Amino acid sequence: MPDHEKDKERGAAVAAEPSLPAAAGTPPKVTLQTEEEAASAFFAAPLPGFDSSDITGTLIVIEGMDGSGRSTQISLLQEWLESEGFAVQTSGLRRSNLVGRDIDELLAKNAVTRLTLALMYCTDFFDQLEHRIIPALKSGAVVLADRYIFTLIARSVVRGINRDYLSGLYAMALRPNLTFWLNVRPETAFGREFRKAQAISYWEAGRDMSLSHDLYWSFVRYQTMIKREFEAVAKRHNFLELDGEASVPTVNKLLRQRIGEQLGIRSTKYAPSSALAHLWR
Amino acid sequence: MESQETLTKQGRPEAPKSTLPQPGRPVPNRAYPGALIVVEGTDGSGKSTQLYLLKRWLEIGGYRLHFTEWNSSPLVKSATRRGKQRRLLTPTTFSLLHAADFADRCERQIMPLLQGDYLVLADRYIYTAFARDGARGCPQKWLRNLYRFAPVPDITFYFRAPLDVAVQRILSGRPKLKYYEAGMDLGLSYDRPESFRLFQSRILDGYDKMVESDNFVVLDGTLPVNKLQKQMRDIVASKIDLKRFAPHAAEAE
Repeated sequence: MPDHEKDKERGAAVAAEPSLPAAAGTPPKVTLQTEEEAASAFFAAPLPGFDSSDITGTLIVIEGMDGSGRSTQISLLQEWLESEGFAVQTSGLRRSNLVGRDIDELLAKNAVTRLTLALMYCTDFFDQLEHRIIPALKSGAVVLADRYIFTLIARSVVRGINRDYLSGLYAMALRPNLTFWLNVRPETAFGREFRKAQAISYWEAGRDMSLSHDLYWSFVRYQTMIKREFEAVAKRHNFLELDGEASVPTVNKLLRQRIGEQLGIRSTKYAPSSALAHLWR
Repeated sequence: MESQETLTKQGRPEAPKSTLPQPGRPVPNRAYPGALIVVEGTDGSGKSTQLYLLKRWLEIGGYRLHFTEWNSSPLVKSATRRGKQRRLLTPTTFSLLHAADFADRCERQIMPLLQGDYLVLADRYIYTAFARDGARGCPQKWLRNLYRFAPVPDITFYFRAPLDVAVQRILSGRPKLKYYEAGMDLGLSYDRPESFRLFQSRILDGYDKMVESDNFVVLDGTLPVNKLQKQMRDIVASKIDLKRFAPHAAEAE
């Protein structure tokens, strides 16, 4: 697709999001942004030293709690998009060259206060935005973001950090073209997460918050708090909510339909290669 | 150490729980019994020398104090070093890393000590970020929000030295300016000393703009060291009830 056409589509997508197929159960969208805000590629302020005018790619965010199926869907979407001829870049939490490993260490040592940790995650986010996401978008790629500022804000809000403060921190983040929210019950997520590692980590269960000595209840309570935060911002940020309890092929089909619409891919038929077939259940 | 003992002494006024600072919220004025003294100024303005002498004066007098420096938390040291070596830092990530460093010191040292009735001396504070990151292009509004959790100092000394004096002091004492120190990331000039000069001039403008809004006590950085120190001690003694931080204050009360 020629760049100018894509630009138009990008502008249109930001201004008025078409809704998902009714099967996904998406509530009608209410756009709360002013026109001026919607026209900007950034949330509230431009990123110093970066010009958003030559962005031709598409930023697609997949949000959802641990165990909602995000990573599985991203692996499948990457294969599908590449088979359709799109260059794909991925991003995720703690993957920056600058501080990714430092955060891992802080988490392992459990010797960090909530505000410092929030700011380290913020540094990690902007390093990836500036060195990975924006360059990829300028080269016309599709960026699949495995979580974005919404998870980072929600985690800090439930730990008592002021919401306006956090919105201010992330004011210079790039506004996604599409934001999907894989919504699952914490009880379902618990089982899925446990099966992955035969354990639940300290942070996934929000154990730093002293919610319960019981690991299961700590996990459920913590993830419910995060879920409520997502519910609170879903409309404002045009979240496209998908039922994360549905099967992998079902969720993937809905994702492909909506992304296909965005990118102008007519046929969204797809079956995973043998390398990814184990995810298809 | 004397100061360690006094910290645990019984009968100190305790800040009511409701006034404890919340991350991301401005610290209510005087929500703690301690006092915070800050020095600011461009590189080469003489501020660190002066704060050292103030610290010695207070230490020798036996006052309870804690000294903290900008960019000194071990927590983010490796990240800062890596970022500088590989030149990964942009205005935004440079600013955020320093904020993370400050947050760590603020949450683990500065705030607890202010609540524990200490005199806290800081070599550079949030105004360094406002001036320096502002010179790199970060919006002031964003920076002010970023550091909203910082307690407001009781005294902020601003050591003002003319650009030429400050630049000359640094250039004569240092064999080679570092990349970020010289503001080379801004692309102002390929010549490091020239880039440093241009960068420092922007920072100086940034400081000057805050003199009134942030109640800076402006001191002339070109005065002889001992005269300047005398001024500084007089101001500290007049603005802060130093007796509170004296060795046997608890018994005397």
